Amino acid sequence: MGEALSHASYPGVILGVLISALLLGNGDLWIWVPIMGMVGAFTTSLLALYCIHYMEKSHRIRPDSAMCFILSAFFGIGITMASRVQFTHTALYQQSVNYLYGQAATMTDIHIVLYGALSVLVITMILLFYKELKAFTFDRDYAKSLGLQVRMLDTIVFILLTLAIVVGIRSVGVVLMSAMLIAPAVAARQYTHRLIYMLLISGLIGVLSGLFGNILSVELTEYLQNLYPKDRLAIPTGPMIVMVATVICIVSLLFAPERGLVVRLARIAYFRYRCLTENVMKSMWRIGKELWFSIDDIARYQMVSSFYLRFIFYRLSKQGWVEKRGDKYRLTIDGIHRSAHIVRLHRLWEVYLADYLGVGAERVHRSAEEMEHIITPELELELTQLLKDPKVDPHRQPIPPSIVEEAEL
Amino acid sequence: MHALNPYTGQNFFSFFIVFASRIWLLCTGEIGINDLVSDEIQVFVLSGVAISSSLLGCYLVLRRMTMLANALSHTILLGIVLVYFFSVQGFFGSSEQSHLQLSIQSMLIASLSMGILTTFLTEFLTKSAGLQEDASIGIVFTSLFSLGVILVTLLTRNAHIGTEIVMGNADALRLEDLKLVSAVLVLNVVLIALFYKEYKITTFDSGLSKALGFSPAFFNYLLMTQVSATAIGGFRAVGVLMVLALMTGPSLIARLLTNHLKTMLLFSVGIGVLSAVTGVAFSRHFLSVSGLAFSTGGIVVCVIVVLFIATVLIKRQNKFADRVA
Repeated sequence: MGEALSHASYPGVILGVLISALLLGNGDLWIWVPIMGMVGAFTTSLLALYCIHYMEKSHRIRPDSAMCFILSAFFGIGITMASRVQFTHTALYQQSVNYLYGQAATMTDIHIVLYGALSVLVITMILLFYKELKAFTFDRDYAKSLGLQVRMLDTIVFILLTLAIVVGIRSVGVVLMSAMLIAPAVAARQYTHRLIYMLLISGLIGVLSGLFGNILSVELTEYLQNLYPKDRLAIPTGPMIVMVATVICIVSLLFAPERGLVVRLARIAYFRYRCLTENVMKSMWRIGKELWFSIDDIARYQMVSSFYLRFIFYRLSKQGWVEKRGDKYRLTIDGIHRSAHIVRLHRLWEVYLADYLGVGAERVHRSAEEMEHIITPELELELTQLLKDPKVDPHRQPIPPSIVEEAEL
Repeated sequence: MHALNPYTGQNFFSFFIVFASRIWLLCTGEIGINDLVSDEIQVFVLSGVAISSSLLGCYLVLRRMTMLANALSHTILLGIVLVYFFSVQGFFGSSEQSHLQLSIQSMLIASLSMGILTTFLTEFLTKSAGLQEDASIGIVFTSLFSLGVILVTLLTRNAHIGTEIVMGNADALRLEDLKLVSAVLVLNVVLIALFYKEYKITTFDSGLSKALGFSPAFFNYLLMTQVSATAIGGFRAVGVLMVLALMTGPSLIARLLTNHLKTMLLFSVGIGVLSAVTGVAFSRHFLSVSGLAFSTGGIVVCVIVVLFIATVLIKRQNKFADRVA
């Protein structure tokens, strides 16, 4: 949606610039151009919004097609108008081109005041309507049942969105403005589950990318101008800001604690590793607590490469669960205890499934295979008390006593 | 190059008269391909782009994939820049400002790689990182596009080229562009005629297509490749954004008029060509009558918008008449 609205603001900018030029001649142009540009952008964005809604409602055109059409159509109209002024008002054309990709270098004090005021306005509105917007965002029906004016909130959200776009197009440009709406929010979502923190983090990321994007673009432009003095190169700000925002976003997507992709994969890998370790120990325990095993013996029971298995045995002997003689391994006393404990959890869970959930004894094994790695000591205690410390599992196999009991014996 | 452009000073109607007579001369062989003047090249290029994009647009609209097409039309910039960078010798040395001319092979490589890359990255973000689809599309295309803009500015050392890419510049079209566009046009028409049935089934019922044994994913990627090829063919003429208008506009109008796929394709192509030709004519008209130079691509889009509004109004009138009767 931001995409469509930001593109649709372009004809407004041109129109505003044109009107200010026609009305005021060449007098106070530098003050009025930004203001009129903003007003125009705001108007056409809202107009585009109305058009999209109308197309969806009255002609059952799907929202994505409607948006695409409106954004490209409005943009095309904007381009036509821009090309009209290209030769007659060259200075104005330069101004309007700045709005395409953004150009921070040519901003003046009037821009700072204007955009500062607008940003403050947007922030105040969000703070003012924070509770209402929250209810409305997460659960429309709930908001309705609270007696909130959902339609009015809709309007407020869209007006805020449009205002934010209008603030951004001078520095980021209409083409890329939508990135600034998405990327910081996506990045912020990675760090928190709470709306208020998400707003804060997202704002912070926006500020950071704006700052560094601008600095980078200015520095790079200067550097290039020293390098190729005659080409008068200028790196547009917008793409730079967007690149910074995207990099932050990608890093967050990959490495954010808890939700980051790499972190998640690492957690999964660690869990698999633990499962495998415990399974290896379990099979050694079941075949013979006192026996010596070569790695090939174990490889018959586990579907993993012998290389990985070698690593696991290395770790196990480092941690003192198994001992090594030649190229054969045997469980240590600690290892026997731990394996017995895993088997105990497995069989306790089987009893629980069979007795309490009425699962057939022949189907409990698979679930227990997983649960044995997950059950915590507290859960084990609960299960023991609930099941009155059973001695055999549904398959009539003995359940090893818990570590506490063993210590008492 | 040309002694005189016969369209100089013509208004909207006499444009067509001159155009018809020139076409007649072209058919009878009195003027060769190389004698085409810029207005005619514009007409042909724009019509070619319009036909390609309105054909594809129908499927995009019906498949609700226009947003992906929007993303693609931006990301091809990166593909063009990279392919150009690797294929052109002496890129840094040439002082001549580049016009981003592409050979057909490199264009195909660029469109194929960008089509697959964009679709793949979007799906990756959606599935593995758990983003919503619109958010992942938004991130992918804006980042690739800004990378493209930065690279193109750096490599060509021309700050205006970024503007030209978005706006298009129909006046700078040359005969080579016509060749590129006709290649794209042939590719699209052949593929769509060849896979008409397959596209139809995958569009409306992907379950059935799976049961019949063609993979919807394959046709998805094929369509995306065609879209990016079309966008590359069209970006010099109308810019990356207005290609999108040519894709969605005619097909939406056609969708309002009919419920049959074949009729919709025909209508959409007709509207596309109509707006392309009248767009060029209007552009010439304004230039000769009022002395104003408009962006031709922009005018084509405006014509499409006017046609769309007219269709909506007529439909509304009909609905009203039905209710009264």
